[in-house]
Amino acid sequence: MNKKGIFFTFIAVVLMGLFIIIYTPPADITLQKDTQSVRARISTLNNLVNDMEYSYFVAVLRATAHKSLSSLILYMNSTGTYLQNFDSAFAEVMVNGTLDGVQIDSMTQKKIMENSTLSNWSSRIIDASRDTFNANASIKIIDVSARQTRPWSIDLILIMNIEVRSNVAMWNMSNVTVFASLPVEGFDDPHYLANTNGLYTNNIKASGLQFNKWNISHVREHVRNGTYVHWQGSQAPSFLMRFTNNMANSSCCGIESLVNPNKISSPDRIESYADYAFWNHTYSSQCPLLYNITNPSTGGGIWDEFRYFKLDIDSVIKYNITSYDLVQTC
Amino acid sequence: MHLKKKAYFFMLDATLALFVLVIGVFLVLSLYVKVPQSAQVDFLSKDIMNFFSDTKIKDLDNRYAGIGGDLWKNGSITDPENTLLQQVGEFYANSQLDTAEKFVQNVSDIVPKQYRYEVWIDNTRIYPRDAPQDHVKSRSNTELLLTSKKLIFGLNNRTASSIWGPYKAEVFAWEK
Repeated sequence: MNKKGIFFTFIAVVLMGLFIIIYTPPADITLQKDTQSVRARISTLNNLVNDMEYSYFVAVLRATAHKSLSSLILYMNSTGTYLQNFDSAFAEVMVNGTLDGVQIDSMTQKKIMENSTLSNWSSRIIDASRDTFNANASIKIIDVSARQTRPWSIDLILIMNIEVRSNVAMWNMSNVTVFASLPVEGFDDPHYLANTNGLYTNNIKASGLQFNKWNISHVREHVRNGTYVHWQGSQAPSFLMRFTNNMANSSCCGIESLVNPNKISSPDRIESYADYAFWNHTYSSQCPLLYNITNPSTGGGIWDEFRYFKLDIDSVIKYNITSYDLVQTC
Repeated sequence: MHLKKKAYFFMLDATLALFVLVIGVFLVLSLYVKVPQSAQVDFLSKDIMNFFSDTKIKDLDNRYAGIGGDLWKNGSITDPENTLLQQVGEFYANSQLDTAEKFVQNVSDIVPKQYRYEVWIDNTRIYPRDAPQDHVKSRSNTELLLTSKKLIFGLNNRTASSIWGPYKAEVFAWEK
């Protein structure tokens, strides 16, 4: 009997122990909970770092490049000079808002770069990171550049070091490269401004016409609207080449417009009115290679609206102008 | 001698019974201890924030805020690639606070009725702008108020070169 009593008592104690273990509420503070909060914080900060790299600086690069190019164009407009070195000028304006150490806004008399440089935007995201997430960020811009691989857009490249520190983790990323793209349409052509002291402004807009659809009517529209065209194997310079006096051809990215003789001081010139040839005086001593785009015997051409308009033989062929609409200049 | 052994047995039995009763009462009472459901409110604040920051205007089926909706037609919304949070930020940057409040109200019908929430941009309460008394009371009396934060920024429009932000966006959530 005594042995059975001890056995039942032992069972009862074990069962009670099990009940207590199972139903005791968990403590509020556990190692697991700490791990979860650390994980959540790291995830939040990781999102911040990703946002910086893949969103914030993409938008900043694009917007700042737009302002920098606009400022450089205004600078050329006000000075009537080309840039000596586009890459260094562009990088300096992008990062500091200066050109040769002078605030570009003071030279253009327009507040475009004020509080809008890459340095300004870096400071803003650093401040916002500290205020919002209590994270210490530092950003060092190493290089920023622009180049063209397509005629109608600019490829922007920003290289920087990003470091973000918090009480739980640290991100240290070197040579982070950010890419963005900016359309060239909407900018004023620097060539026109530099060559006319700002008197002739031509805003870049693609004609949109297919290469095999050109005829004299479309040429008339092309001159009237000041639109641009990219020919395969182009002889014209790209948009970025127009910031320096670089008249070399850019086969990938060259764009050209036709100079409107009604908008220049001396409309009758011995030039091809294809812009790159006109401003570079390529045909000024080669009159036999030029054609007046008019034909008094047929009444064709566009001299009724654009008197003295001339083109070189290559352009005549590209724009599909026939003998009905032209006569040789000399 | 025989009787002494019985008394000892009954005493042990009574002690065990008392022990069982005390444990039983403790367990029953512990079931009624109210513990705030922190996980659910935490999920809610994060879910609202994720919904606002991951959903784009072009993906929204809403007569007021979606493509072809009222705000699209009157030109208040121009970029279908904006996330909902970016759109709220853009309204804030352009001082269209009433539109921002109505926008949030229209797109956030995902929130269960037993919860309340607020959307703040740059330390300014966007939704609800003029909180009713019961809302304020509920917030001040809640035992658990959780927040999710994110930095937001954007272009005023795709072709322009002006950026707004970065602003701190916060979603506060609590149980009614």
